Amino acid sequence: MPNIDDFIRPKEWVSDFVTDIGKVLREWGKDKYLPVRQKIDEDWTHHKIVKPLLKEVLVDLGINAAFFPYEVGGTDIPDACTLICVLGEEGARIDSGFTVACLCSVWPMLPIILKPHRNMKLLEELGPKFCSSELYVGCNAMTEPASGADIENIDRMQGKTIQTTAKLDGDEWVINGHKIWPTNSGDVANLYGVVCTTKKGSKDLNDFAFIYVPADTKGVSVGGPYQKAGMAADMNTDIWFDQVRVPKRYRAHGPGDDLKYFKEMITYGNMGTAAMCLGVMKGVYEIIKKWTTERIIAGKPLKEHSMVAAALSDIAINIEATSAWIHMYAREVDRPDIYGTNPWDDTLVHKTRGLSTFACKAVEKVCSTAMDYMGSYGYSREFDLEKHWRDGKMLGLWMGGLGLKQMENARYWYELETL
Amino acid sequence: MALYPSQEWCDAWKNAMNNDPACVENGKNWALDFPGDFLFEVTPGSGLDKTHYIYANIKGGKCLELKMLDSPGEIKPGFYVTGTYGDFKPVVKGEKDFIEGVVRALFKLKGDMGKIMRNAKYIRAMAASISSFKNEYLGE
Repeated sequence: MPNIDDFIRPKEWVSDFVTDIGKVLREWGKDKYLPVRQKIDEDWTHHKIVKPLLKEVLVDLGINAAFFPYEVGGTDIPDACTLICVLGEEGARIDSGFTVACLCSVWPMLPIILKPHRNMKLLEELGPKFCSSELYVGCNAMTEPASGADIENIDRMQGKTIQTTAKLDGDEWVINGHKIWPTNSGDVANLYGVVCTTKKGSKDLNDFAFIYVPADTKGVSVGGPYQKAGMAADMNTDIWFDQVRVPKRYRAHGPGDDLKYFKEMITYGNMGTAAMCLGVMKGVYEIIKKWTTERIIAGKPLKEHSMVAAALSDIAINIEATSAWIHMYAREVDRPDIYGTNPWDDTLVHKTRGLSTFACKAVEKVCSTAMDYMGSYGYSREFDLEKHWRDGKMLGLWMGGLGLKQMENARYWYELETL
Repeated sequence: MALYPSQEWCDAWKNAMNNDPACVENGKNWALDFPGDFLFEVTPGSGLDKTHYIYANIKGGKCLELKMLDSPGEIKPGFYVTGTYGDFKPVVKGEKDFIEGVVRALFKLKGDMGKIMRNAKYIRAMAASISSFKNEYLGE
């Protein structure tokens, strides 16, 4: 009898070990998260339920430490993209908001963790905190009130819209600015990776800077969380940086390289988003399969009606296609030695935009289709579909939204010159 | 010189682990509340003519027992690792990373993956301790 594990996953590229780590998360989710999932929406202000669960995943299951070098206490797992996609999928099947909080803890550290551009000096200082037995959470502070998409649209905007500034004063960066919406903002994050410019309005890519700021640094303040349509386990607030001083060494790399590895972050963000879409779709598949099997209409299960079967087929097709595409691209991201492209190359940044676009549209369609056939039961909390339906839409709204994703994808495939 | 694999080699590795500060320190919480013993199934090739089994009973950072077995028998270890002699050799030599080998499916590892994830430093220390004594290998 087919289940979610029968959807395509290439065993040649995804080892049993990686799949089994995903199943550890799955089992944890079944035991610890599912019993409280229907209470998470009301936990949006203080994360009383979410915070201990975050510790269980990030610390006790070792996800925070997974990609850090072993020299600083990490697990140093290779092929990071494949594992991130498996974890993203498994986690999102349970709760994509919680999963994005987990993955985004490590996301801002990628510029200094991933080979071949590890910053070991900085990792020796910051890494042990992520690899300890205490919860330590990262936050990528990128989006600003005026724009998020423009900041990510590096090719065309070239960082000129970044309002958060970093000025070198002796041995310290002085940071001033305002960020909004980052995952793990509020009182969640312990460390921010802050997108700055060393010269406001500049289109010189060397002025793009990525600087780490401990959340308890003088001058950092945060607002209250925004109440959202979904993803309550992902806390999003304002963050203000008012004459914040951090050591000069807290810059990820330096002029040019900061931007380069930020682009790699975008690639990983696209991949992680697609993986979470897949996880949500698999969760919905399970719900709608059960529903259409047990619901009897005109003397037979709902799934035995041709119109419904057609819709169910569309759901399965979307899942298969997304899964196959994810693992193909994950392989390409993890193995530049084979494919000749690096994760920071425009090719992968723009191609993964396409995958993310597809996956985000697919999850919206899958959730909506399932809702159509569950009707009132679909929008009733106890059947667990409505949360996926709300969260699934939100997966497509970050990282520039549909507009930027499609534009960058077309830019690659059609060699656009003005967009 | 201890031939890998042999009982002499097992004795040398046990001694190395128990006298390695990194092993003792990083493994102090290992297997206190879960089964942490390993069974290594080393399959033929690269000079090894038949499958060999190595059993390591490890707890609290100490190796209590390390021995060759004719077969797995009734043992139900916490962790069961399978790989070819040709793939185990570079790890024993310190040339390749064991966890990387597991992630890349050179080795099959059955057991509590969460424990491996949280104790990677200890796993690596165990493997690294092998280089503290001289080894020799079949097929070389």
